[in-house]
Amino acid sequence: MKVPLTDAAPSSSHLPSGFWIWLELFWIFLKTNLLTSSGPASVGLLYKYVVGNFMTEPEFVEAVGFSNFLPGSEALKLAMFIGFDAGGYPGTAAALLGAILPPTVSMLVVMLVLQNFQNQPWVHGFIQGMVPAVAMLISVAAWKLFRGGKSIRTRPLVIAALSLIAFILGAPTPLVLLGSGLLGIFLFP
Amino acid sequence: MGILLSLFWLFLKVNLLSTSGISSVGLLHQEAVGKIITEEQFAQAVSFSSVLPGSEAEKLAMFVGLRVAGMPGALISLLGSSLPPIILMLGVFMILRRLQRETWVTRFVEGLIPAVAVLMLYAAYGLLTGGTGPVNWRVLTVAAVSLIAFIFDAPPPLVLIAAGLVGIFFFK
Repeated sequence: MKVPLTDAAPSSSHLPSGFWIWLELFWIFLKTNLLTSSGPASVGLLYKYVVGNFMTEPEFVEAVGFSNFLPGSEALKLAMFIGFDAGGYPGTAAALLGAILPPTVSMLVVMLVLQNFQNQPWVHGFIQGMVPAVAMLISVAAWKLFRGGKSIRTRPLVIAALSLIAFILGAPTPLVLLGSGLLGIFLFP
Repeated sequence: MGILLSLFWLFLKVNLLSTSGISSVGLLHQEAVGKIITEEQFAQAVSFSSVLPGSEAEKLAMFVGLRVAGMPGALISLLGSSLPPIILMLGVFMILRRLQRETWVTRFVEGLIPAVAVLMLYAAYGLLTGGTGPVNWRVLTVAAVSLIAFIFDAPPPLVLIAAGLVGIFFFK
């Protein structure tokens, strides 16, 4: 489905033609979040739908970079950033709604189905098989996050070591995270 | 009522201190397992969140909330997990408008990342050893094969579903 964009300049959000932009934003984020299972995985698909259509490539790069550097779900931040650029506050709301529907609805359905099949041996086996793979998925994601595409430098290593010690000593996790963030601000560059 | 409030606070906290769904797994593990959900339920939550479509943070919140306190729990957890990015982004639009990244925010997140990575490894270790029972050669084989697949950038949902199928046919 392609919503016509004929005379809809991005600046004319006060005109009825803005409606089509909001609808298209909703549809793009619904589609993207139906076809991918996490924020980072959706970037490639979004690029295809959005660049040249709603925003330029540098703007898109800024949106992705920015959603890496604020707390919270990446998919939602991407949706809001692109929605705002393309359609102001209504665009933000439309994109956000599109992005939030797939995870909530799919999870609800699975939970309801799961309740009925909970005691089937194959469900148990399926989950048991997935767990080691999920553990590795998390480990690899941790490694990629830590590397961040750069060579490893002293500061992250110092913070990692300090937080490991703090966790082993049983310090409250949110405090350790806050502390490591503050170290990031004040520790040598 | 108390449990709903603590669910809301839990997901608000978790999503304020991590930058994406998968990176929030470590903190969530620390804060929830053994308190409101079991290691096995946590394993289910993370498994399904990694396979189903959509943002991971929201799926994790829905799963845990629904398990702990039914439909009201799911909704309140969804709200808690969605508010931090929504409010922060609105703040960015209104205050910074055509923003320049604030350096102190960047540096805060840069400092956060190593600690978040350590936590994620903690959670992965917890899942592997306590997620579904004793570690045996089957578990280690699935872990090793999927590790190799992820290193070669195979799509995570496909790898997880394949691992699940292996589980159906070869685990017990």
